[in-house]
Amino acid sequence: MTSAARGDAVIGASPAPRNARWRVTERPANERELVLAAQRGQRAAFSALVRMHERRAYAVARSIVANHEDAEDAVQDGFLHAYRALDRFLPDQAFGAWLHRIVANAALDITRRRKVRDADELPETVASPFRDPAEGSELRSRLTAALDALPPRQRSVIVLHDVEGFKHSEIGKILGIPEGTARSDLHYARTHLRSLLGDMRSEQ
Amino acid sequence: MSDEHRGPELVRDDALTATLRAIYEKPTGEAYWAALEGRIMARIDESEAWWSVSDRWLRAGLAAAAAALLLAGAMYFRAQAHINRTLAAEAIVEVEGLESALAQREPISQDEATLRKLTGHQ
Repeated sequence: MTSAARGDAVIGASPAPRNARWRVTERPANERELVLAAQRGQRAAFSALVRMHERRAYAVARSIVANHEDAEDAVQDGFLHAYRALDRFLPDQAFGAWLHRIVANAALDITRRRKVRDADELPETVASPFRDPAEGSELRSRLTAALDALPPRQRSVIVLHDVEGFKHSEIGKILGIPEGTARSDLHYARTHLRSLLGDMRSEQ
Repeated sequence: MSDEHRGPELVRDDALTATLRAIYEKPTGEAYWAALEGRIMARIDESEAWWSVSDRWLRAGLAAAAAALLLAGAMYFRAQAHINRTLAAEAIVEVEGLESALAQREPISQDEATLRKLTGHQ
């Protein structure tokens, strides 16, 4: 784990050179200090924020887009948008929640663009380079197909909740929907997927 | 109260959850995340470079536009002043010409003047 990911980067009161690397010290740096430093134009502070949040940002993006490559693109777009909008961010807010909303919007943009682009193309199967050994299992392939058949928002909700552990209120903020909608989406998505699993179990 | 206990419909299925986690497994390994961070920062650097170039062009364009505006304004006022001077000069010439024309007229007698007034002929 890098020093910034551990939260031990040093934030100076005076602006550091934009390309300065954070020194590893015993003094922990909190997110707010990193945000303030990034807002002062310190590139390394924003880089530390990227290190702290890229995994969760990827998870948010991956729950919305269809594949790993699009999730990577959405994460990059999201961080770029966040960097440009950093002046408008209030440091007392939760940076992660703000960033996740931006990444989710970037992912939705990619999904919309892909829909338009794929309208004239044959459906493609993009293989993620990070598949686990169970990739070829029937359960997994059928569940993947069932997930693809779910309405996109329901798919995002079940992934964000069951895979990433976000709360309904957080999911609501990320996707821009009421908390109750997130709950009902989760219910419908689980019911659908569980019935599929039930069918498979009864076949065995 | 957790989400799982708010209603009977939100029952977690462990097998389903495990399979979902396998499908949506995040890339593992620090190298991957370090590389992604590098790509993100590279895009930001590219974007900043583009913005700084466009910003320079924007400033140059604004300066050029301001200079052109000043020049056009100066030329307009100069032309307007020239027109005003010409009109004023023409007015003076007209007045002087009228006065000299009147001065060149032959003096008339009092009787002739009275007659012209009565007949309406100047």
